Parts: sequence; C-alpha cells; structure tokens
Amino acid sequence: MAELMDEYGRPQTPGASGKQGGVTRRKFLSYGIGGIGTAIAAALLYPIVGYAASPAFSTGKEQWIAVGNVTDFSPNQPQKVEFSYKKLDGWMTVEQKSTCWVVAKDSANFDVFNPKCTHLGCAYHWDQNETKFLCPCHGGVYDITGKVLAGPPPRSLDKVPFKLEGDKLLVKGA
Amino acid sequence: MSVYDWLDKRLDLRPGLAKMLDHPVPTWVNWLYCFGGITFFFFVLQAITGIFLMLYYVPSPDHAYESVQYITNTVHFGKIIRGMHHWTATLIVVTVVIHMLRVFWHGAYKAPRELNWVAGVCLFLLTMGFGFTGYLLPWDQKAYWATAVGTNIAGSVPVVGSFLLKLARGGTDLGAVTLVRFFDVHVALLPLFMVIFLAGHFFMIRRQGISRPY
Repeated sequence: MAELMDEYGRPQTPGASGKQGGVTRRKFLSYGIGGIGTAIAAALLYPIVGYAASPAFSTGKEQWIAVGNVTDFSPNQPQKVEFSYKKLDGWMTVEQKSTCWVVAKDSANFDVFNPKCTHLGCAYHWDQNETKFLCPCHGGVYDITGKVLAGPPPRSLDKVPFKLEGDKLLVKGA
Repeated sequence: MSVYDWLDKRLDLRPGLAKMLDHPVPTWVNWLYCFGGITFFFFVLQAITGIFLMLYYVPSPDHAYESVQYITNTVHFGKIIRGMHHWTATLIVVTVVIHMLRVFWHGAYKAPRELNWVAGVCLFLLTMGFGFTGYLLPWDQKAYWATAVGTNIAGSVPVVGSFLLKLARGGTDLGAVTLVRFFDVHVALLPLFMVIFLAGHFFMIRRQGISRPY
C-alpha cells in the first residue's frame, strides 16, 4: 500500500487529514484562520479608511459675511470689497482674507463676482472709461454682468452667493 | 489558478512558507504560552493606529492639545483610533507582564535561553519607554505633570541626575523641546529598536524551541 503523503511530502496519518466531503482538516483550519484574519483586518481597515479620508467627507461650515450696506453701492458702479473672516482650518481658527466685486443693479438687485478671472485666476479690475472688467494677464474682457466680451476666458465671471439681511449685504464665505 | 499559485510558480514560496507556517508546536503548550504572541499582535496594532494618529497630530505646544481634541471630536472614527491606541497601550503592559511571569515561573530563561531573556527584558524596557513618552503627547495636565514627576525621578539620580533631567527635558524646564524629543523617541527611535529586538527574540525562540517546564 502506498504511503499517504501530504502536500509537502511528509508521511500522513489518515486521521490527521480528517477527510470528509472533500474538505480536509488542514483546509478547514486554513479557511478558518483566513476568515478570522480577514474579519480582524476589515474591522481595523473600516475605521482607519474613514479616519484617513475624514476631511474629504467634511462639507465645511456655511458662513455669511457682511461686506457692507446696500446704500454703499451705487448702481452700475462695480466696487471691489475686501473683507476678512474667521475660518476653521483643521484644529485652528485662522483669519481668512477675501475679496469680491459687488455690482448694484439697483438698491435691491446685486451681482457679486469672484475676483478671479475665469481663464487662469488673475485678479481683474474695473475700467471706468471703457465700463468693462479687464484682466491684465491675457486680455480677458467682461461686461458689467460678467459676460465674456473678448480674450481667452472660457466662461462668465463666477458669481458668489449672497443674501440681503435688512440693508446688509452678506456673501458666502468659502 | 490562484494568485498564490502564480506567485509560487515564479518565486518558489512554498518551501519557505511551509517552514514558517508548518512549524510544529509541542502538544503540551497551552493558553499561557500565547501572551508573547498577543503582545506582538498588540504591538502591530499600536504601529498601525500610531501611524494614523500622526496623520493629524502635531508635536508642538501650540497645537498638540488642540490636534488631539480635533482627532477625538471632529475626525471620523478619531475617537476609535485614539481609543484603540490608548487601550492597547494599557493592555500591552498587562500582556508583557503575564508573558514575563510565565517565562519566569516556568524557568524558561535558563540556559541555553539566557540571551532571549535578556532580549525580552530589553523589550520590556522599550515598552515602558513607549508608555512614558506616549503619555506626554496629548499635552494635557495629566500628561504634563506625569512627565514632570517622571523626569524629576531621573533628576534624583546621584551625581548624573541633573544631567539626565536636562537630557530628558531638553533643558531645565519641561516645554516645547521636551514634547518634540518625546515624540521623536516615541515614533522613531523606540520603534526602530523594538523591531530589531523583536526580530532577535523571534529568531531565538524559533532556533531554540519552546522550553518545557518539567
């Protein structure tokens, strides 16, 4: 009778393999160890991945910053407003400086623009003589509603969400 | 064909793995013999959770406390990751002591295993070092005063005491320099020595086998 050998060529006692329905004891144990190991790894991996990716899930707190009185802005006179506000940066509270362009259509209707040219993010300015927004970097030109008139900008000026509270103009902080 | 078979065909993994995984364990060992392995498992857990705590922790007096609070209260699962590191740190001391007591009780430190006992004592001291340096890192009152007391004990050593105290604190006072050097020791120096001594510990136990107490 040929001697029973295990997969490593060692003599095998028939009882040790415990062959029943195709699953040897060795297989059963290695599945068991693999299963338990996988369960432990999953139990560890799940919180760790969530922990590491945590900032990617955070939506940030919505902030509205008062940038002036409605009466500060005369119609069709774009005005650059610089403001600063407290912002949460991880565990720190930092002073965030920001800018926006406010265009009053009348005392109740406004446009608030992001101060960056939509082409490559340069700061544009309002030209009072031409009554256009001009970007110095690559010649982007926008009209008073933010629409592109000339140059490379791919889209109109980005609008910043704002709201009126009483006669206060508030813009949304990023 | 499984991934393992594919790798085995090219790298001939089977003999090496078989030698490692099919290592026969004496039939007379019992649960008391598991505490070294449990301690190692805890150490791996500490390494993993520690690496991830460093993702948000800042070892500076300006930010240490706030960054720990940020981990605990703001970061998703931060409380769990920090909690695992905290409780495993406590448990590891318990399992190390049980492991040591078992080896001592069974006289397993006797020849020819004296060197492995020495390596084990070094690992015990490294564990204590981890505990001592890690305790300061949250930079709260408990951390600060525990380290004040601990370093004062070093300062009470005759002759070289004041030198040891200044060495531990990075100056006469406990402050920014203390925090950074404790952090460095905790996350770089001690892990390095830990891995070296663990490798020696495991090599020796494999070479010499488990000592039979009777």
